[in-house]
Order: sequence, then C-alpha cells, then structure tokens
Amino acid sequence: MLLGTKNELEQVLAQALASGGDFAEVFLERRWSSSVGLEDERVERVHSGLDQGAGIRLLAGEGSIYVYTNDISASGLLRAATDAATALEHRFLEPKKLTLSVKNRKKNDARLNDFGVDLAVELVQAANKGARLASDKVRQVMVRYRSLDQKIQIANSLGNLVSDYHSRNTLIVHVVAADGGTVQTGYESLGSYNDYSMFTKDKAVEMATVSARRALILLEARPAPAGRMPVVLAGEAGGTMIHEACGHGLEADIVGKGMSVYAGKLGKQVASKLVTVVDDPTLSGKYGSYTYDDEGTPAQKTVLIRNGILENYLYDLNWARRHGVKPTGNGRRQSFQFRPIPRMSNTYLAAGTTPPGDIIMATENGLLVKRMGGGQVNPATGDFVFEVAEGYVIKDGRVAYPVRGATLTGNGSKVLLAVDLVGTDLGFAIGTCGKDGQGVPVSDAQPTIRIPDLVVGGVL
Amino acid sequence: MNNENRVVRSCLQLAEKAGADAAEAYFLHQDNLTIEVRNNKLETLERSKDRGVGIRVFKSGSFGYTFTSDLGSTALKEAVELALKGAIYSNLDVDARLPEQQPFDLSLAQFDCDIENTTLEEKQALALTIEKAALDTDSRVSMTERAVYEENSNTVLLANSCGLQLNYRTNFCGGYIWVVAEDNGDVQTGAGVAYRPQLSQFDPVAIGEEAALKAVQLLGADSIATQRLALVLPSKVATQFLGILAAMLSAEAAQKERSLFADRLGQQVASKAVTIIDDGSLKGEINTAPADGEGTSSQRTIVMEQGMLCSFLHNSHTAAKEGTVSTGNGVRGSFKTPPEVGPTNMFFAPGVSTENDLIQSVDKGLYVFNLMGVHTANPISGDFSLGVTGLLIEKGRLTRPVRQVMLAGNILDFLNQIQAVASDLRFYLGFGSPALLVGALTISGD
Repeated sequence: MLLGTKNELEQVLAQALASGGDFAEVFLERRWSSSVGLEDERVERVHSGLDQGAGIRLLAGEGSIYVYTNDISASGLLRAATDAATALEHRFLEPKKLTLSVKNRKKNDARLNDFGVDLAVELVQAANKGARLASDKVRQVMVRYRSLDQKIQIANSLGNLVSDYHSRNTLIVHVVAADGGTVQTGYESLGSYNDYSMFTKDKAVEMATVSARRALILLEARPAPAGRMPVVLAGEAGGTMIHEACGHGLEADIVGKGMSVYAGKLGKQVASKLVTVVDDPTLSGKYGSYTYDDEGTPAQKTVLIRNGILENYLYDLNWARRHGVKPTGNGRRQSFQFRPIPRMSNTYLAAGTTPPGDIIMATENGLLVKRMGGGQVNPATGDFVFEVAEGYVIKDGRVAYPVRGATLTGNGSKVLLAVDLVGTDLGFAIGTCGKDGQGVPVSDAQPTIRIPDLVVGGVL
Repeated sequence: MNNENRVVRSCLQLAEKAGADAAEAYFLHQDNLTIEVRNNKLETLERSKDRGVGIRVFKSGSFGYTFTSDLGSTALKEAVELALKGAIYSNLDVDARLPEQQPFDLSLAQFDCDIENTTLEEKQALALTIEKAALDTDSRVSMTERAVYEENSNTVLLANSCGLQLNYRTNFCGGYIWVVAEDNGDVQTGAGVAYRPQLSQFDPVAIGEEAALKAVQLLGADSIATQRLALVLPSKVATQFLGILAAMLSAEAAQKERSLFADRLGQQVASKAVTIIDDGSLKGEINTAPADGEGTSSQRTIVMEQGMLCSFLHNSHTAAKEGTVSTGNGVRGSFKTPPEVGPTNMFFAPGVSTENDLIQSVDKGLYVFNLMGVHTANPISGDFSLGVTGLLIEKGRLTRPVRQVMLAGNILDFLNQIQAVASDLRFYLGFGSPALLVGALTISGD
C-alpha cells in the first residue's frame, strides 16, 4: 500500500472517534502536477510540484470537524486525529477498535502520467504556430498544458478502504487579435480523464485555429443587442446554462439548507416535458469523470430531472445521512485541503428530437449562442448570468451577423419550464466549477435548445 | 523555525551542487481556522496546517520552478532536479533574475497575538454573533446559509543564493454571512463580509446587519426597461472592478501586448476623478508585508494619478526587461507558485464627498448591491457584462429594488465615466475603494 497501511488507518479512525462522533474518515493524497506554458513565442513557466497531505473528518449530529496536515507519517495522522477529536469535545477518551475492509486497490505504483515535458513542449509550440498562421491580426498566443496525477486513499468508519488514482490533462489556447484600436480574444480548451490519447499536435493546431477564428470573428462583430428576445443555444455551445441554471440548485447541501428553488419539489414538474437532466461521472474519459467519488462511494449515473419531473438531488455522505437517503457518489473535493461537498461531475441536458437547423429556422428574430463562457448563479433565487463567447443575431430564421459583449441573464427554474425546442445534437465543454472556495473539474453538455424569452445584456 | 531553516538551506545547497547559476527557496507555513455556524449551532470547524517549499532554479538564462510539501531529503533532491529540468526546457530569457539585496522594514510584518490567543469557544461566539445580528435586524430574514469566522496565519522564510535571508509572520481574521429574506413568497439574498489584521477591529455585528439590510431591501425586486443609467457603486462593489483592472496593470501584460494600457504610460486613460494606488507598505491592511514574494521591499506605487497612467506593477523580471526597478509586486499566493506580477493593497484614492452626496446628485440611476459573473470579465479586451441587483435612484432618492438586469461595457469606458469619488475608503482583502459615481452606462432589462 502506498500511503497508509490498513492497520495504521484503523488506529487513526479509532483515535478520531475517541471523544464521540457518528462518522470518521481519513483522506490521504499525493498529487503531482506539471505544466508547460508558451507566450510571446517562447516556452516558459515550465513548472512542477508534489503536494501531499491528509484530511481527517468527523461528523457528529449535524456538525462536522475537518483537520488537515501535510504530515502523512503514522504519528502525523494520529496527531491530526487527536486534534479533530479534541476540537469536537475538548476532552479525550480511549479509542475503540475498528476494522477496515479493502474495497478497491490499484497496484499502479509508478507515476501515472508519462506524458513527458518534451511532448508537452511540442504540443504548445504546434498550437502557437497554428494560431499565428491563422491571420496577421493575431497579436499574442498563450498556450498552457497541464497534467495532474492524484493518488488517493480513503478510509472511513463505515469500514471502507478505497485506493484510487486520477490523472487529468488539459490544454488551453488563448489568442489575442487586434485591428486598429479593437482587441478581442478567442479561447479553446480540451480536458480528459485517465486518457491523453487525444493530445496530439494535430489536435493542438485545430484548437489554435478555432480559437484564432473566434477572436477574428469578434473583431468584425457588432455590439450585442440589449433587451429581451428568443435565444437559441447551439449544441456546440457547451452546458454552462444547465450547470448554472439548474445543476447547483440540485446539490443536496444547498437543498438541505433550504437555499434552493428546487427544495421540496421532488416528484413535481420543474421543467418543460422536453427536458431531462442527468449527472454521470461514469462516462468514459470525460473531464468530470471518476470511478469513486472523494468519499469512496462508487460513481453512478443520476437522473435529476426526467421529462420535466424532478427525480433526485446530488448527494454526498453527509447530506445523504442527514436526509436518510443513499449517497449518489457526488461527494467531491479539490484536494486533501478541503472537506467533500455535493458537486456535479459531467452534467447534461439529454438530446431531443428536433434537427438543430430547424430550430434556427423556426426562430424569426433572436440570438444564437455558439459558445458559452463562464457563469454564476444565486441558487436561492435561481437568478443566473453567463457570458456568450461566440454569438450571432438571428434574422428571419437565418444566422445574420456576429455580435460581441453579450451576456444572458434569467431565472433557472423559469428558463427550464420555458424551453420549447430541443435538438438532436449534444456537445460537451469542460470547466473548473467553483463552490465554497474549491475548484473541481467538470464537464457539461446540452443539445441545441431554444428559450423563447431571455434578457440579453448588450450596449444601447 | 529550525526545521524550516534547514529545508531552505538544503534546497539552496542542492541547487548549487546540481549546477544551478542561482536559486531561491520560499518556505511558507500556513495555519487556517474556519468556524461555520448556522441556526445558532456549529456546522463545521476546519483547522489546517499547510506547509511546503517552492524552489526557483536559474540556469543558462532561464528558470524552472518546483514546489513540494514532502520535505524528506529524497523529495527535496527530486524537486531541485525537476526545477533545473524546467529551466532547461524554457527558452532563453536574459531578464530572468533575482532581485537586488535591499533593507526591509520588519515592522510591516503584522502579527496580532489576540488572534492567536483567543479560544475556539470565543471565536465560535463571534460567528454566532454575526448570525444573531442578521436575524435581529429584521424579522423577514428567514434563514442563514452560513455565518463564518475565519483566520489565517503565515510564517514566511525566503532565502536566495545572492545572500537574501528574510523571515516573518503575519496573520489576519475575518468573517462573512449569507442570508435569505422572505416576504409574500418573494425570496432575496444578502451578504456581509469583513477582514481585519487585528481581532480588536473585527465587528461581527456590522457584518450581520449589512447582509440583513441588503436582503430585505431587495424584497419585491423586479427587472426594469433597458436604459442608460448613472450608477452609484458602494465601496465593496467598486473594489470588484479593481479585480478586473489589476491584471491589466501588470507590466507583464503590457510587455506582451495583452493589456489595453500597453504603450499608454503618461497618457490620460481615465477621468480626472481616478487615482489608483498600490501599497504593500500600508500599515493595517491585509496584504501588508516587509517584502514581496521574491524579497523586494514593499512600497507605494501610484499607478494612475487624476486619470493619467503613471506606472505598471513590476516584479524583478518585468523590471529588468524595461531597465527599471521592481515595484515590489512579485506576489505569491502560496509556495506553489513563483512570484508573478500582482497587486498588494490596491485602491481607488478617496475624495471628499459622502456616499449620500453621490446618491443625491443623481436624477435617474442605480445604487448597486451586487454584481454577478465578475470572474467572466475579459482582462485582455476589457469587456465585461455583469448581472446586477440594486435600488433604483430617482431624483436623488433610493426608490424601488431591481434585479435581473445586466450591465455591459468596457473597463476603459468605465474608467472614463467615473464622475466622482466619495471619502469612505474601505478594503475588502487586497482591494480598497470609496463609493464611486459612474456616469450613464447601459442597463439591459425588459
């Protein structure tokens, strides 16, 4: 075993529970990161790092204690366990014996990601060249390749001991184009889980070309219209809207605190009949995929909304215990520095039956969103915003001209009820989802959909 | 401190042995405490000790960077080798260098013993006080999402092969709350937040009251028609725009032509009302320290004065590129990153009027409570498009609450439209501002 032995972990858990508590857990991690950057035609910021540590969590009633340390020696873990127990009760009793059973064990002992620095250097150089060739209006190209390998071990007082590894790679290409005094940017990213076969030079060039094209289109674009109008979100736009407008409000901690518009609505209609929303970490190779969540619960596909009816929430162990339901395998954390909370993985609005081209033709005037950027939601009210990275005005059922500076705002529950056309296509985009100061890798997707009425933020 | 010293010395020796031209080791030990309460009960208590070392190794005109929190001798040796490998893979950059030796003002290391010596029970009571203050302010405040007390303490050891040796401790405390108010089926939220370097300056009641008042005043909010409106931005909201600006004021961004301010030094880039200062030596603020993350002593830099662009922020690398000196802005968030150009305590310099004067001077406008999606603003093009909630200003008075409207524009227009600056300078972590009056911008709604 790599990190802690079964015997050591049993002692640590017993120690953590010595002054009481309903549940104890130890999460051990060693993570290697490396990245290669390129900017201004130069390879730079070739960085690497090793971070290790352990988080010890204690649940008692509705309260929880979390202590973490970089000292993962047997004595370091015991000290952290004692700190946790003392923080709970300010007194300390004799530990009771506890036995773990090994659930899963990866033998892989070497560093997992052997995608070397030399390959990464070739990749960022290929992307730079691709973007520079696209146009002489390209002023700056920034490329960054990152890899992250995590070995984790989770033991808890339910008797589970899970060992796992995660390996994630990302490539990000950022292009700055300028024409006269106007500066615009284009962006493209690729991320994968336990698989880096798609990180080829050809793919890097393709991404660079797409991101240069986005910046160039924006240079030509007119300012976005302002006001209320029908909005068509293309399948290739990514699923930011689903993530923000609905996903966060279905996380059990937000629901459990009564802070979600979806609290108390299980079995009720919360979306149009055309809408089915799924969270699925078991999809192969997607950026938000995993085998076990960060509490050792096996990953599973969860249907959240089926044909408009709310079916389930996303649960971690803590909130599943508090609500007396089964965890859905969505207890995730950024690293040992954080306690696990309910999070999305790969979240999508399932494909429908209308060809995407027909959706645009059926829309007399409106906005077509071909790529979404970041967004944010207030789960208590359901109000969200997200930015449009590539957008076009639709006139008489046809794509008329590109626009820039558009952002959409609306209310998640109202928007889901209003969706009136759902396409057959399904396009994924990757992102890092931030919540409570923790970032976790996610992907989201949706087919082409139409929302009859949304506020577009533009300039008068 | 002995063990930390040994690690730092060992890194420099290993680098020298491995053939480095120069090296730097930055050791950081961070202790954090977070106490989260809800419904008058403890929800979560988090305690952490995070420590590790970051190593910069210079070789043949470039540098590599590695960090490790495994401080065993094998791990340190591997880390130094990886950093050296990073230097070799990087393209030549003759300006990559360590800063010149200089004296430090160690009194800028602010460490408050009250924070360290106060018991967990008393700190939990502070979190409970935040929540109680919110609930007592108005009966329509129905729920707390969380009320939090937190604190952070840092021990820094920085040494390099040119003889630099610096060590100091800093700490600060703070808290925040997020509440829900309900009335007639309408639900609104409000937040309150404050961070201080001294426990005696920490006011939990003010945090709770702020959140409650915001949430309650938004009850019944609705969208408004698309129009151009003047905006009054209270201090906290105004600081969010500094967050967008800070990246554009980095000398690296300017040198690499990804800042709208590139080539505009000495030019008027904002209205005369705008003066922006960065000051790592400002006593009593959170990011105050004797030196930046590479050992340049902290200083005050006037970035914009009455709308004229006076200086970019530099670390020793960007300064060398222009033959100038570092402004002490080689900042690090942790031992996991090398010193990158960034702000310390950055703020809009205050004016003379009050926030109320600004509101009264507006015929038709919006007093902004909250911005959504600030992280999506584009730091290169300067374009932003944000969700806004607030109160409508009509004939100098706050009238009705507004939500689901958007504010879109470009940061350059924003800077040029700042008409007046109030006197109530307040800091939120590293950014400070008084209330600002910003002349008519497009608000998109119905």
